[in-house]
Amino acid sequence: MPEPIEGRMKLTVLGGFLGSGKTTWLRHQLHHGMLKDAFVVVNEAADVPVDDLLLGKSTRLAVLAGGCACCEKIETLLHLLRVIADGRVGDDAPRPRLERIVLETSGLADPGRIVEAIRSDPVLVHHIVVSEIVVAVDAVHGLDQLRSEPLGRRQVEVADRLVVTKIDEAADAALGKLSATLRELNPGADISGAVRGSAQPLPDFAAATAEALPALGGLAAAGPRIFATKLIIDESVDWTAFSVWLSALLHARGDDVMRVKGVVRTPAGRLLLQSVRRIVPSPEILPESDDADGREDNAVVVIGRGYEAQDLSRSLRYFASGSPAP
Amino acid sequence: MCATCGFPAAPGHWTEAGFGPSPHERVRARFRRMQVLQSILPAFGFSAHDSIQTPGIVLANLTGSQVIVADLAELWTAAERLGRQRIDPLDPRFIGAPAVDAA
Repeated sequence: MPEPIEGRMKLTVLGGFLGSGKTTWLRHQLHHGMLKDAFVVVNEAADVPVDDLLLGKSTRLAVLAGGCACCEKIETLLHLLRVIADGRVGDDAPRPRLERIVLETSGLADPGRIVEAIRSDPVLVHHIVVSEIVVAVDAVHGLDQLRSEPLGRRQVEVADRLVVTKIDEAADAALGKLSATLRELNPGADISGAVRGSAQPLPDFAAATAEALPALGGLAAAGPRIFATKLIIDESVDWTAFSVWLSALLHARGDDVMRVKGVVRTPAGRLLLQSVRRIVPSPEILPESDDADGREDNAVVVIGRGYEAQDLSRSLRYFASGSPAP
Repeated sequence: MCATCGFPAAPGHWTEAGFGPSPHERVRARFRRMQVLQSILPAFGFSAHDSIQTPGIVLANLTGSQVIVADLAELWTAAERLGRQRIDPLDPRFIGAPAVDAA
């Protein structure tokens, strides 16, 4: 069997609240030539774009101004992505082939909704695979936003990677509290620090206590603790049983199971599977490499609340074998 | 994509992304999917059927209501609508715990 090839462009969604340092972070990545193979799409809620001026270095850049890409401008965004995908087919210009798209969302966007829109577009699913959601969090104002802005909290919950920006402007104690709060909201995300876009180590926050966040706009207060469970998919569980189980779990518990992420070996190859609440984007097929990408096969991390960790494996075993676990 | 015939189709539901590429592997995966569903659905008063020749799954309840669904996400939604209850994988019967009403 030939090795499956993942030819789709990888999409990185860069989110974060207004003024959290998204553009600065992105500009730093571009300045250091890390995104040479990327098309950058910047979305601004304001009518007059400014961020594109800041990002002058990028050769392939498009701006979507005058509305948020997750709501009223979603059609424009999908059209733009289709144009980018079209332009890539047959492009033989002497420059690096387009391998990724970086979408800087406006500070008012819910990245989850953008992921859902791309997943359900019949053209784009062939061209684009969502690879990472990076969310910037302001070291100084981040905690305030988490307290008072439902959107700020939602952005943090769906992130794969949280970048705490401007950490030189906050005291270590405040940074520790913010980091611990982020860890509690999203136990699966990688948390790092940055100053003007370049990576800086965060102070150790293992001992810091998290802020007890109040209930907010439909989001629960610091109620049942959100925790991460590593689910091992052993050889008794096949892909079909696993997918029946997970689709049922997300349908029934989508409000509580916030994130699922992991690599599953299937007859079609190694699938990088992830969900953002109830939404599961079309899985990416990973190369059959060695462990170069550092991902463990057949282990899925489930982040959620309102159940016991062992319930997940027992229930999965029932679905795979048709009878209760001993 | 052709707007008239819908070809090439979208890659399908994510649950089918792990099916093998050859036709016989896909058929086998669909049979296996039915087998898994048949161990879950009867307890909630449902049965499921996949004719293989045609796409989709037929979901039926005990009173004879039937609905054709395209994928598993639609199946769980339809089952919830027809059965007026949610099929929860973390239900006590699936995790081997005593049911709440029996305790």
